Amino acid sequence: MNRPELPATGTGLLVLHALRCGGSAGLTRLARATGLGESDVESELIDLAVAGLVTHMAGEFGGWSLSDTGRVVDAERITDELESAGARAAVTAAFDGFLVLNPELLDLCTAWQLRSVDGVTTANDHGDPSYDARVLARFAEFDRRAAVVGAELSAALPRFGRYRTRLTEALDLATSGALEYVADGTASYHAVWAELHEDLLATLGIPRWV
Amino acid sequence: MGMRWIRPLSTRVEETAETLGGKAHGLVVLRRLGLPVPAGFVVTTQACRAFLRDGRLPDGLDDELAAAVTDLEAATGRHFGGSQVPLAVSVRSGAGVSMPGMMNTILNLGLTTGATAGLAAETGDSRFALDSRLRFLSSFTAAITDLDVGRGAGDETPIRRRGDRPIPDDASRQLELAVRAVFSSWDTPRARTYRELHDIPHDLGTAAIVQTMVFGNRDDHSGTGVAFSRDPNTGENVPFGEVLFGHQGEDVVSGRSLTRPLHELADREPAVWTGLLDALGRVEGHYRDACYVEFTFQAGELWILQVRPGRFVGGAAVRVAAELADERVIGRHEALLRISPRHLQHVRTPRIVATADILARGLGACPGVAVGRVATTADRAVRMAADGPVILVRPETSPHDMRGLAVAAGIVTARGGPASHAAVVARAMGKPAVVGVGDLVVDVAGASVRAGGRTIGEGTLVTIDGTGGEVALGSPRTVTTAADVHLRRLLEWADDVSGDHSERDETRRLDAAHAVLRHD
Repeated sequence: MNRPELPATGTGLLVLHALRCGGSAGLTRLARATGLGESDVESELIDLAVAGLVTHMAGEFGGWSLSDTGRVVDAERITDELESAGARAAVTAAFDGFLVLNPELLDLCTAWQLRSVDGVTTANDHGDPSYDARVLARFAEFDRRAAVVGAELSAALPRFGRYRTRLTEALDLATSGALEYVADGTASYHAVWAELHEDLLATLGIPRWV
Repeated sequence: MGMRWIRPLSTRVEETAETLGGKAHGLVVLRRLGLPVPAGFVVTTQACRAFLRDGRLPDGLDDELAAAVTDLEAATGRHFGGSQVPLAVSVRSGAGVSMPGMMNTILNLGLTTGATAGLAAETGDSRFALDSRLRFLSSFTAAITDLDVGRGAGDETPIRRRGDRPIPDDASRQLELAVRAVFSSWDTPRARTYRELHDIPHDLGTAAIVQTMVFGNRDDHSGTGVAFSRDPNTGENVPFGEVLFGHQGEDVVSGRSLTRPLHELADREPAVWTGLLDALGRVEGHYRDACYVEFTFQAGELWILQVRPGRFVGGAAVRVAAELADERVIGRHEALLRISPRHLQHVRTPRIVATADILARGLGACPGVAVGRVATTADRAVRMAADGPVILVRPETSPHDMRGLAVAAGIVTARGGPASHAAVVARAMGKPAVVGVGDLVVDVAGASVRAGGRTIGEGTLVTIDGTGGEVALGSPRTVTTAADVHLRRLLEWADDVSGDHSERDETRRLDAAHAVLRHD
């Protein structure tokens, strides 16, 4: 089927929205989230800071974050993008699919971290490669179903394609032995999935807490 | 008529849990113990297996369902879907093990528009009747929404999205759809994943339990609750649980409403309390272990809806095993075999003492004790962490909270269960966490937290226990030795069995006894 080419999200909005969905972050994380180079990200951040949309905090737990104005502006621009692409129905339908998958992903993360041995739930110390392999195999099977939702999303709005890339990277790293890419850091499958969740809520304007 | 696919919930049923499912088997046990169980029947796991194989309900099940309902009408003197003295039922799944992702419960099925009017006329309480009808509609919709109810059947189109199918206003048709929904839910991807992870065969199937409704929302003397025969946190021989006055069962399990400590039943409904204590005693006697029950009381009358062994862990498991041996309910050898070396690790996890001033209770999501000052946002947590340990308290967490989670010593959330974002992140970081604190309100603008009728400001010192799910004010004493006296005795029994009284670590002492006992 021939689809009309959808316009890509502008790089400024990409960086702004990455802060909206991923929380405050440094250059490396923002580059990974947006797929842009670090210097491009930095140049966008400076423009955004001049416009009063982002702020920078120094220190170990510092980094770039949204200002209150930045949050409002992001919501406006993301809604504009959704409506002008005529993508609300498609994203809403994909979000329904996401919500079916979400509890299963959390089950999988729990199984990765905890396991039942002799009826006692204990932290998974990753000393049993066969158990880990079994959980990772379920992740891979889950990921194939998640990819269907991912394809629906990026067909509706191309910027969602970045999540698919990041989820695939995390799973590939985890299966090749970097176990921390399952649920442990901001580049893990769990973390990227949670950012996608936040993005869907933000894009559709659904408040997290009613 | 002879029934092939259905068994009544009666004392005479002989089949095992494999055929009846664990839940229905427990209900048969309760009946044999002479305890009050609402009349009902179970559609067996064989019928489920046939459904999963053929993609349709087995031949003859229609007639059997009709006959079983007729029996239920005769037993209760009520009419299924009738406009006078209507019979309403619950429909629950009941596999050998409970499984996330499977259909849970449809309440008040059979409350058609006519039956709802009948219930209102019978009780003189139209609000109650309407409340019950709405609960039926929402639980029925939820059960059939995400399920491909018509999968494989020629005459049905798959149900995938909300609102595709009107709810039939015919009680028998509702029942048939509900049974199909229960059976289909065995094969949701989430349930399949869970079975793969936990070595549960895919071909067991689930039973569907159909029981006369008892209404916890009937009047001021009605309600619902869950109870352990002993305290699951400590193993102490006192009943423990929660009760919710004026509500139906799912509200307790879902944590949606405000529950009260179980012992409040003693004052408010003394007859129900006495009946419950009697029931807990009898089920312990049968299972020879601490037990868990779900119950409902309607107009002051107690009904037991589910029973299973308590499955305690850590120090609680050690204490129960030792005390059951003292009570001569089980032998010392059996007490030893019930304790796995894994339990010993958990005995050593610190806990806060019972005398602590408890602000709120939730679910322990990552074991351990953390002390710190309350912060209600990630930003404030980062700022406050420079001056000392912080407990991050949030409605629930999202990626925005990652910095706060990273600096916090411990985490508390109002929402979410053991697999929530907060729980997953807390375990990844090895930080004590309490999630699903039902009555917790986080007021970010007011920089305060409300729970249990008290309000505390940001910066207040609290202590959380990620094993038992307690949030306590101040910094109460913590102990790792609560089960010590019981553990010491149990290990002496272990040495008696192995004949080795030398100085060794606890795990080796227990392992040596297990080796001897399993060899015999």
